[in-house]
Amino acid sequence: MANIAAQRIKREFKEVIKSEEVAKCAIKVELVNDSFTELKGEIAGPPDTPYEGGNFVLEIKVPETYPFNPPKVRFITKIWHPNISSVTGAICLDILKDQWAAAMTLRTVLLSLQALLSAAEPDDPQDAVVAKQYKEQPEMFRQTAKHWTSVYAGGPAKMSDLDDKIRRLTDMGIEEHNARVALSSYNWDLERATEQLFMTVMAKN
Amino acid sequence: MSGEEYESDMDYTDSDCGDPGYDDYYNNQQWGSEADNDIDSEQNKKDPEYAIHECLKVEEVERLLNENVEELSNRLQITPSLAKVLLHAHEWALQDIILKYRNDASGLLVTSKIKSSHEPDSSIALRGARTGTCLVCVNTLSLERFAALTCGHTFCKDCWCMHFEVQIIQGISTGIGCMAQDCEVLVPEDFVLSLLTKLTMRERYQQFVFRDYVKSHPQLRFCPGPNCQIVVRSKELRAKKVICSSCKTPFCFRCGMDYHAPTDCGTIKKWLTKCADDSETANYICAHTKDCPKCHICIEKNGGCNHMQCYNCKHDFCWMCLGDWKAHGSEYYECSRYKENPNISRESVHAQAREALKKYLHYYERWENHSKSLKLEEQTLETIKSRIHKKVMHASGTWIDWQHLFEAASLLARCRYTLQYTYPYAYFMEAGPRKVLFEYQQAQLEAEIENLSWKIERAETTDRGDLENQKDIAEKRRVTLLKDFLEV
Repeated sequence: MANIAAQRIKREFKEVIKSEEVAKCAIKVELVNDSFTELKGEIAGPPDTPYEGGNFVLEIKVPETYPFNPPKVRFITKIWHPNISSVTGAICLDILKDQWAAAMTLRTVLLSLQALLSAAEPDDPQDAVVAKQYKEQPEMFRQTAKHWTSVYAGGPAKMSDLDDKIRRLTDMGIEEHNARVALSSYNWDLERATEQLFMTVMAKN
Repeated sequence: MSGEEYESDMDYTDSDCGDPGYDDYYNNQQWGSEADNDIDSEQNKKDPEYAIHECLKVEEVERLLNENVEELSNRLQITPSLAKVLLHAHEWALQDIILKYRNDASGLLVTSKIKSSHEPDSSIALRGARTGTCLVCVNTLSLERFAALTCGHTFCKDCWCMHFEVQIIQGISTGIGCMAQDCEVLVPEDFVLSLLTKLTMRERYQQFVFRDYVKSHPQLRFCPGPNCQIVVRSKELRAKKVICSSCKTPFCFRCGMDYHAPTDCGTIKKWLTKCADDSETANYICAHTKDCPKCHICIEKNGGCNHMQCYNCKHDFCWMCLGDWKAHGSEYYECSRYKENPNISRESVHAQAREALKKYLHYYERWENHSKSLKLEEQTLETIKSRIHKKVMHASGTWIDWQHLFEAASLLARCRYTLQYTYPYAYFMEAGPRKVLFEYQQAQLEAEIENLSWKIERAETTDRGDLENQKDIAEKRRVTLLKDFLEV
């Protein structure tokens, strides 16, 4: 079984490298070890989305039973997206679960993930907080996603007003990422984010 | 089939009478000799919890299913294997399938996932006239080593075989699908068996397929008895009592659990989970699992996504509200909201929790008590036996004169069993006049049962008039309560 998995991955690896998407720098894969059981993927944030200009790194684990079972994929780069956990990077995508078919490849997976970045499915959320914002406050969501792209995925946008709010919290001794998560979750309402952060601190004490 | 036929299916031998085993003693409603059978079947018809059923062995079930398969394959001129896919997809409703087939054969085949909704296309990369590359294992092989489904998707036979094995290991059999991307077509049985090489895998596949067929058939249910191979068939698709003729396990035909009238299937499940609440497992199950709203299989949530798909029946539903996922457009956030009563102050929360616990304990103690009493009746049976022996030895009546005591004990057990199951029902019942009526009837039943129990334990003469009277009253109370409250 493992034999087929390695054979397939080698072949797909070449397929991705030669594909036109690589030429356009849209997708990329790298080997992590020699046994082809783990790979590192990368996708570019699609144009006209808050993810534009960012590069998102993925962890791809190939099971022994590949391609009869799907690869296990999650985002290493932190991302603000309804179908991707902002905490763990876990992805809710049907083709990585029951809709997987043995004839699919790493290339189709990476392209599907890229398509997911352009077209979120808020009714099928992985991260309920993000999905709620996406549906109820689309502009706020766009700003937040753009901000996360710039901070974690090397995106171009600099949003000084959001950065200021984060600085206000870090000045109070809050760790930067925690401050960002709290503000993002409370639609950048400084007061509510602060309240939530200090409530947790108190609860821990 | 008639009640008489049912009687002839069950073998009640005299040896049953000598068996002190609690199960036998309680479960055989026809406790006396075989001559009583006609009377008993009359009584069965009056009993609101009785369902006509027959107990089938695996071969008999296979024969029954095959008859359906054969008829459908003859009527529609399709292979038996495809007929099985159709029957499984439509709960074995033969006439229904034929009707749908006559109306729109192609549409039926597509919705039953036998035919692709797309034009057949090939997924094989041809290399010259005689060889091709399999897109799964990327080996280039000669064309006779490939196989295709009706959708045209062609892969090498080794890959198909491997695909089947991986699916079978995961417990999937009738649900094995094509390997191509976005293809919905299910792999029929003959295709799987023609390519599956390992004998153990073939056997497992056939077992799983059989299990799926029985589960999809509304008239069939596996006996839940340990290591019991019997399948019970009943045409009454209700939550009524059936008894396995082989291992004597009584169970509810609808949910396959211990029989539970007058409580319904969902309520008893809730109750039993609640009762088992002190164990960590139950806590985990409560916190991390829910039952599929369609097929009721227990599902563990293993990811953050609230869009769940049941691995058993493939039903898509929302983890939060258990509603159908399809209807889940904009309402999603409604179901994630915790609707709490804003008037409850912190203090009264504690008071309420205490009150709730008190209420639960009230019902639980009674439930537990009757359950224990039922087990104690086993001892009573032994006492009755020795008492009869003594009486007969002292020439106080013959052995036959005393047989009625066994019948009385059997009836007592039956009444106590129903009484035990009235407690979960009452616990979950909403307050109101109906609950008042229920609790009144429950109290009446309880009183008569205790009277009966008392009289059985103290029966000193062969004069059975008083005891017969008490038996009749208790059974009438039980039947009345079931008639009024058993909703099946």
